[in-house]
Amino acid sequence: MSFLNPSNGAWSILALLVALLLVLVTFVKFTRLWTVILIALLPILGVWTFVKAPEWGLWFPKDVSTHGAGMDSLFNLILWMVAITFVLTEVGLVWCVFRYHDKVPGKSLFTHGSHKLEMIWTAIPAVALLVIAFAQIGTFKQIKFEDHWPTGGPYSKDKPIAHVIAYQFAWLMRYPDANGSFDSVDVIESPFDFVVPVDTDIMFQLKSRDVLHSFFLPNLRLKQDAVPGMTIPMWFQATEVGEYDLICAELCGWGHYKMAGRLIVKSKPDYEKWLADKRAALKSNGTADLEAAE
Amino acid sequence: MSPDGNSAPAHAPAHAPGHGGGAHPAQEGPRGVAAPGTVHVSHDHHELGFLRKYVFSVDHKVIAIQFMLTGLFFLVLGGLFAMAIRHQVAWPWKPIPGLSVLFPDTGGVISPEFYTMLFTMHGTIMIFFVIIPLLTGAFGNFLIPLMVGAPDMAFPKLNMFGYWAMIPAIFFALLGFFVEGGAAAAGWTAYPTLSTIATAAPGSLTGQTWWLMALTWVGVSSMMGAVNYVTTIFKMRAPGMTMMRMPLSIWGLLIAALLQLFALPVLTAASILQLLDRTLHTGFFTPSNLLVNATRPELLSNAGAALDGASGGHPLLWQHLFWFYSHPAVYIMVLPAMGFASDILSTHARKPVFGYKPMVYSMSAIAGLGFIVWGHHMFTSGMNPALGMSFMVATIMIALPSAVKVFNWIGTLWGSRIHLNSAMLNALAFVAMFIIGGLSGIWMAATPVDIYIHDTYIVVAHFHYVVFAGSVFAIWAAIYHWFPKMFGRQMNETLGKVHFIGSFVFTNGVFYMMHQIGLAGLMRRTADPYTYATYAHLQESNELITLCAFALFVWQIFFVINFFHSMFWGKRVGRNPWRANSLEWEAPSPPGHGNFDRELAVYRGPYEYGSPEVSEDYLPQTRKLGDGAARPAQAHAHH
Amino acid sequence: MSDPQPLRGRLAIAAGLFGLLLAACDPEPPRPELHYTLSADSKQLLADYPAAQDQLLGTLGMLFGSPSNPRYAVPEEWIDDERNPNDAWAELSEARQAELVAANKKAFATPLAALERGDFAAVEPAREALDLQAAWGEIRAGYDEIAAAMEAGTKSRTDLDKYVAENKADAIALFTDWYPSLRESAEMYRTQCLHCHGINGDGKGSTAEFLNPTPRDYQRGAFKWTALNEKARPRRADLYGVLENGVNGTAMLSFKRFSATQLEGLVDYVRLLSIRGETERNLAREDAEEGFKIEAVQEAYLDVWSKWDKSAEFVIAYDGEIPEATPEVIEHGRVLYNDATGANCVSCHGVGGLGDGPSAKEPDPNGGPVPISKKDDWGNPLGPRDLTQGIYRGGDRPIDLYRRLYAGINGTYMPAHSTIKDPQGNRKVTDEDLWAIVHYVRSLSKGKRL
Repeated sequence: MSFLNPSNGAWSILALLVALLLVLVTFVKFTRLWTVILIALLPILGVWTFVKAPEWGLWFPKDVSTHGAGMDSLFNLILWMVAITFVLTEVGLVWCVFRYHDKVPGKSLFTHGSHKLEMIWTAIPAVALLVIAFAQIGTFKQIKFEDHWPTGGPYSKDKPIAHVIAYQFAWLMRYPDANGSFDSVDVIESPFDFVVPVDTDIMFQLKSRDVLHSFFLPNLRLKQDAVPGMTIPMWFQATEVGEYDLICAELCGWGHYKMAGRLIVKSKPDYEKWLADKRAALKSNGTADLEAAE
Repeated sequence: MSPDGNSAPAHAPAHAPGHGGGAHPAQEGPRGVAAPGTVHVSHDHHELGFLRKYVFSVDHKVIAIQFMLTGLFFLVLGGLFAMAIRHQVAWPWKPIPGLSVLFPDTGGVISPEFYTMLFTMHGTIMIFFVIIPLLTGAFGNFLIPLMVGAPDMAFPKLNMFGYWAMIPAIFFALLGFFVEGGAAAAGWTAYPTLSTIATAAPGSLTGQTWWLMALTWVGVSSMMGAVNYVTTIFKMRAPGMTMMRMPLSIWGLLIAALLQLFALPVLTAASILQLLDRTLHTGFFTPSNLLVNATRPELLSNAGAALDGASGGHPLLWQHLFWFYSHPAVYIMVLPAMGFASDILSTHARKPVFGYKPMVYSMSAIAGLGFIVWGHHMFTSGMNPALGMSFMVATIMIALPSAVKVFNWIGTLWGSRIHLNSAMLNALAFVAMFIIGGLSGIWMAATPVDIYIHDTYIVVAHFHYVVFAGSVFAIWAAIYHWFPKMFGRQMNETLGKVHFIGSFVFTNGVFYMMHQIGLAGLMRRTADPYTYATYAHLQESNELITLCAFALFVWQIFFVINFFHSMFWGKRVGRNPWRANSLEWEAPSPPGHGNFDRELAVYRGPYEYGSPEVSEDYLPQTRKLGDGAARPAQAHAHH
Repeated sequence: MSDPQPLRGRLAIAAGLFGLLLAACDPEPPRPELHYTLSADSKQLLADYPAAQDQLLGTLGMLFGSPSNPRYAVPEEWIDDERNPNDAWAELSEARQAELVAANKKAFATPLAALERGDFAAVEPAREALDLQAAWGEIRAGYDEIAAAMEAGTKSRTDLDKYVAENKADAIALFTDWYPSLRESAEMYRTQCLHCHGINGDGKGSTAEFLNPTPRDYQRGAFKWTALNEKARPRRADLYGVLENGVNGTAMLSFKRFSATQLEGLVDYVRLLSIRGETERNLAREDAEEGFKIEAVQEAYLDVWSKWDKSAEFVIAYDGEIPEATPEVIEHGRVLYNDATGANCVSCHGVGGLGDGPSAKEPDPNGGPVPISKKDDWGNPLGPRDLTQGIYRGGDRPIDLYRRLYAGINGTYMPAHSTIKDPQGNRKVTDEDLWAIVHYVRSLSKGKRL
């Protein structure tokens, strides 16, 4: 098994697990000690895995969008707040188990609560949560709200770059004909590959023929369900030329895991050339196949 | 009463605690509770036959044990499904040991549609046949009458029907595996149109219809239970047991029952609508103008175009209806667990629950807010984004009452005297891991972040930390804690501790890394992720998770041995082995028919541990102190 | 009651060690051993000759190997010609070979970058590439040996660098020049295709029961979506095109996320299954009674091969510019479409193109009042295409539709319109007519594509 390779960080986790198993033998006798250690390991290992995760490649894939930065920073904001709360509460728990065991003489502290404390630990998280909630709004609006959709560029709600059609179990991108019409017979259909120009606001319409699918571009932090009966406009801007996975993110049947596509980001001239080649292919008379056969 | 002073025989005739007569003035209890007919157990003397006593029993304790054994059986079955899922995810298209019987051609390699059936049925079984029956069915039934001081449920026959309604549910759920096309394969969420169009490849053939039948029967069962619990709690409390003297377990169960009462009809209605869509080709959830396998579904329908499903429905309608139940259902699955944890922490830490009223209020707040957050399952569904924003704020704020509860649990432990037995260890683990599940929820609530993490493994990690690391650990804690009351015998501590440590370590081994692979973008329900460039490097992490999952599953052998061994040969204990305060410990272990063999009167709340008024470190709810304390209303005023 | 604690303590320790063992061992399961079987047709034909069934299976095993190790038998005359069907790489044109090398460089970008750095430890070949894994494993083993010796102090960093320098070029070539063997492609087929198309390629995998249309059965050698006339066996490019683009509107999806090299390998393996299936069919039909004589087997085998070898001769192409889709041409196409004495598309596809023409179905042979679907050569129910959807399984370019009209669709009722002759022996539907129909048919889906 490859993760037993010592150069891999996961090996350390396994080693720790093995060590913990050895604890078992002594656990019954030293229950309190080991409980303290086990619960303490939760925040320690928990934080450690998050620190090491980027190194193991277990972090967000590379961001090549204009949406991504906002989302990633919001994730990190929540990550910090969550991490602090996590560590503090777990430390509190560990301290209690460590300090207040049944060998301590006397009875426990007889109290039914403290109004002041309740107020404090209601008010502070309330404020923190409200901060988190309101911090989200700007980015969400930018991605989803109609008044933030691109208008000035080549692609807009009424002039989308393509219709992205999902069906069991494939993606079909339909580009307009040379006059920009989607109702023409000369529309261009590109199975699997969603080709877009770089550094351009891309607006597209998402549709489904049969069941729910979800259009997911990990590298662009973009996800939207394709709903049969609905045409959903979406927009993004890719900032780097390359090929990125397009993944179906909503269960759509047995072939869900196979429903792959690809976002191909090209430079603008390359994109125009690709489109022109696709249009020319409609004029093919098949003689190219004859030549290939020779 | 000494801890082992179980002097009364198990089937001692119950005395009717008189109202208005005896030592306790009638005004001490809430007026109108405990009508004479319900406390006077008249048919105590005839011996019931085996069937009436153990199978078609109307005794809440027997029904509770029936629910528990059913739930534990399905926990094993659902766990086996999980193992097959994990095997496939770690080593796609490699033979799964034992499955060559089902897949002889491929030597035990499962097919992709079988994988969809596996995770659909795993989710269905774990939620509807394990967690909800164990929490509300088993412990709700067992604890409510005992803890409020009632001889049985308000409607014992309805209670029996509640359990027997599970039988058709179980039958229909498992039937799917034996019909053409296999079990339901549209996910436990059964989103249309995958679930409504039989020709949508695949799996939503007849199996989905049986699945919906099962769901409807589960709904009937839960409804019977919920009606019973609410009535019993409101109407059958012992004299002096005010609402604010009820143990938090009862509060958790009460609020969960209320949630079921209000939310379940919606799910039941929705599942009937989906049944109609599937069988009579109505169109509640199926829009018009579809192409399934490049064929219009109406052309394939035997019922003809007029009755076909392609008639202008909307798939999002189902999502709204489904989550209107299923989000509160998440709280149904955790509120009782929170209650059990509070009781167990307080009892074994020998300290009153910190902030009883805030605990009650926060549970109520969770329940109230729980009804207006369902839309957070639909941030990427195509729902109006403005709606998404309001759901986001409500969802983020629901973290607040949960946070208050966590702080209060830590407050409860502060300055306590912790006895680290199996029940306590599991309750502590519940708190420690519920924190993780609760905190990771904030990411999911935040709409922009959720756009990325929706339906990734981070969501899987989140809800397993809440429902497995949370609720199931609370169930284990509750079993260790109340086992003596159920069977009159104690579970073995050594085995309990061994079971705990492995479960704790491997649970985190399984679910913690899922956060990271979810961040890397791995989608749930993906049978073979590694053919994507984005996921190719995730196999090692998944192998590790799978190994931990196998170990976790195998580890449960300790629990099974302990449970059944202790049931018959465990150490006998008396009425109150934990020296606890609440009413159930006043009854014999196990309680006879009619529960209590002496008159009950409640003088104080259930958490008076370490009280300076008495020399022991506990003060049962029924114990009458000197003159000044005889009036229950004042017992509370001391603090 | 006595306290059995000590016993349980030991039990616990034993179980703990068991868990440890479980966590430490390598439970990765091996690949399953699969076996080809005879098709249902052959079994039926040979139902009275159980010995012949075994003999046929054995003969086929000799000719084609097993799913774990598929291998063509090489006839003697081919050895003289230096033709080896197991080496499909040699069949490819040099241009194609260069394309595949480029595809390998892209697909193996990560391991190749690691190799360039000299970081042999970070290199992972593709999951299905068994032979590549084995070949790389040999180079890697030497590396690991030196690395281990380095840790023990017996070897130095320079030894490792020397080993890397010596083997780097070989290792890089291993990846860039990789072309899947049949064994590797069979493994790829097992994980990606088998659950629909079945172990034997008979379209009877476990998922098949959920699919409409059913998965292609390769065993007849008949493939629908080719560019060829006269039901010829497909060219590599035809099969490759289906793998690359999928078949619109069916569960056959695009496999473009795999590299071009892997897809070419799959083409090899599909061809093997198809040739095996057709050979099996031919043998089962002819030689059951007298047993399978070596000459007869060889003849059947070479006969099937010869069909595949000739496929390139049947490519349909139109000599000249394809006509513009003017309104007049479309109107002409409409007339032809509805012409009952000519193309007569309307009889099946219906006046509106919905696939509901009078001949779309056939009367129920059991005398029922409702007509039933016709069946294709495989026995599957088949309806004429609904032309208003704009979903063309064989490709949506005009030339693709032209080819469907020209040669018909293999295995179905769709006739080859180039062969419809008037009494004088002239084509009733000329090429120009075909283009007019193509444009009319395309216009049916105008604005209606979903």
